[in-house]
Amino acid sequence: MISLESLPPGTRARILGVAGGYGLSRRLMEMGFTPGTIVEVVNSGPGPLLVRVRGVVIALGRGVARKIIVQPIG
Amino acid sequence: MSEKKVIVVAVAGNPNVGKSTLFTILTGEIAHVANWPGTTVERKEGFREYRGKKIRFVDLPGTYSISATSPEEIVAREYIVSGEPDVVLVLVDSTAPERTLNLAIQVLELTPRVVVALTKADSAHSLGIHIHVNKLEEKLGVPVVLVSALEGTGLRELLDAVVDVAEGKKGRKKPLKVNYSWLEPHIAEVESLLSKYNALPEYDRRWAAVKLLEGDLRLEEILEQRGFEKLIEEIRRLRTAITRSTGKDIGEHVITSRFNLVDSIAREVVVRVKTSAVSEESLLEKLLIHPVYGPPLGLLVLLLAFTAAFALNTGFPLNILLDFMGFSEAAEVVEEYSLSGLIDTVFNYLSDILRQIMVRAKLPDWLVSLVVDGIVPGVGSVLSFFPLIVVIYIALSIIEDSGIGPRIAVSVNRFFNYFGLSGKAIYPLIIGLGCNVPAVMASRASIEEEERRQIIFSAPIIPCQARLLVILAFTTAYFTSPLHQAFAIVSIYIIAIFLTLLTSLLMRALRFKKKEPPELILEIPPIHKPSLKVVWWLTWDYSKHFLRKAGTIIVALSVATWWLLSYSPSGLASSVEESFGAIIGKTLAPLLALYGIYGENAWKTAFALLQGFVAKEALVETIAVMYGGTLSTREALLALGLTPLQAYSLLVFMTLYVPCLATLAAIFFESRSLRTTIFATIYMVALATVVSLTVYYTGLLLQTLVS
Repeated sequence: MISLESLPPGTRARILGVAGGYGLSRRLMEMGFTPGTIVEVVNSGPGPLLVRVRGVVIALGRGVARKIIVQPIG
Repeated sequence: MSEKKVIVVAVAGNPNVGKSTLFTILTGEIAHVANWPGTTVERKEGFREYRGKKIRFVDLPGTYSISATSPEEIVAREYIVSGEPDVVLVLVDSTAPERTLNLAIQVLELTPRVVVALTKADSAHSLGIHIHVNKLEEKLGVPVVLVSALEGTGLRELLDAVVDVAEGKKGRKKPLKVNYSWLEPHIAEVESLLSKYNALPEYDRRWAAVKLLEGDLRLEEILEQRGFEKLIEEIRRLRTAITRSTGKDIGEHVITSRFNLVDSIAREVVVRVKTSAVSEESLLEKLLIHPVYGPPLGLLVLLLAFTAAFALNTGFPLNILLDFMGFSEAAEVVEEYSLSGLIDTVFNYLSDILRQIMVRAKLPDWLVSLVVDGIVPGVGSVLSFFPLIVVIYIALSIIEDSGIGPRIAVSVNRFFNYFGLSGKAIYPLIIGLGCNVPAVMASRASIEEEERRQIIFSAPIIPCQARLLVILAFTTAYFTSPLHQAFAIVSIYIIAIFLTLLTSLLMRALRFKKKEPPELILEIPPIHKPSLKVVWWLTWDYSKHFLRKAGTIIVALSVATWWLLSYSPSGLASSVEESFGAIIGKTLAPLLALYGIYGENAWKTAFALLQGFVAKEALVETIAVMYGGTLSTREALLALGLTPLQAYSLLVFMTLYVPCLATLAAIFFESRSLRTTIFATIYMVALATVVSLTVYYTGLLLQTLVS
């Protein structure tokens, strides 16, 4: 089990769960970060992570990305 | 339904789905902007006549869901169940149906009277995304219309569908049922509880049951207000029992089940064809989010855009540059023909003519003075702000509509995190360099309430253009060498911007007791050429808002200031020196002894600072007027007889204490709290005093050490 934050750019992963508080995990899931969904890391530098989920690119602060638990695929 | 009745349509959609564009196309213009009752969430309305019927469109805030995680989401769903809208128009982005259908499903679970608009049909087509509209209609049971707001296609069909659903000719009879598998028996259980107590009759019972099982705080709050404590207890007990026996999170299960339905629908109705447009990121896109090149490039784009905007408006910095290169005449021309220069000229002219006409008509003195010295300059100062605001918003709308904006916010996020802000705070802060009023209003972009309040509180410390004018006037009068002038100007900006960021950080750490910076979650739309139409709509929309809200207040306050300056305890004052304003100035004058300023100069300075409380550009003018108006501005400023150190310390004070009354009005409107407004005022005055005195005495100390 690793967090989305630790993935290098170009990696694809399956979401296992969101480990935030009620409001944050709810908001993330409603934006499409639901368990089972595939995410792709588009860009990852020292700043926020850019990920593609359900056809949309979303910037996530590293603190947020750390709360999304994933399993890399491929 | 009678022919006369107005059809009310609530427009819902995710952010970035093209909602404001479609809204403006449908209604022509926004007829009415207000806040949703009891919130700072903006409510826009517009009208449209179609097939002999009047349709009223009400724009719901852009949200990803109608759970109750933000005020926007609560506003949206409570309006839908309020009984006012006849139809809910839900916008689904055809370039990202797998994400944006989620909101449509949620609304369909709440009400059957829905029309779905598939937006951005043109971009979807070029990306090779095709959606079977008929099949989607079949799946959802409501009309689905493919539209392209920019090409104007699909609008008639959309309006037809809206009228048909409003009249009950098309659409569903009952809300959509999503299959929640193992949760179903429990949903039935809560439904029967709700019917037993007859609680929440305005909501669809199944929808309310699901939400209550998820732990919806807002519904519980409503139940509590209506005295259903026992029902809440029963539901909570049930919820704990389910979580314990299944070991699963109900909310997660509900959202996942809904997305499973979205996915199964999308698999059947969406076809993706590979085209060449699918889609390598452009060089600009890559550079903007590059960890090293991104932040400077983003800042450069913003600074260029706003410098151009400022130059158009006040001539700065073009005039200074020309002056510096020895073209002082050209500099004057640039200043005179800048937008605010032109408006100034027009209003001075108007004032003169009005005075002549009114004096000739033998109107009483006080009335002439009220109109000519109070109302006309008041309206004039609103209007001279106006081009600045329009120009800033044009720049901002271009950056926003092109998709560059969110990328800049991402690239500067790390820097702003140090000060307890997210990258999104760059906009209010940059706008603040132009004018603090829209800067405070731009705090709305923050999703976190704490960050929003940090911005409302700290953005007014940023030196705006009006303060720049004062800084320029004083530095050119009191510092002879260009090097010293430049040092004075730049150092004041650095002090002010540092204090802005520090204020925000202190507020987060001490007031809100938060160690972590705000979380950044921001959708990044593809970069595209901005549409002139959209840019103009956005600009006009924002600017009109400013005119209505700030405008009224500024005019009212100008009249109040006029009264303070024109009346003395014994009626109409014969000169400014006898006025209430001067009396207040004289009362405050002893404080200036702290800066080593005494006597006549002290009360005149205090009085000028008091004027600057209303509007900073009035500060220099007041000093000129008090010295008889015959001296040039520079000579009048020098007549105050300050040392360069005193002048610099006063400038620091002037920059930091309350920007102007219009900004205070903006703080009040955005915070909706008189207490916050008063506290912000006290904070800024205290900050200004402490910092400027520190500067003054450090300066004195250094001087004695050197000599």
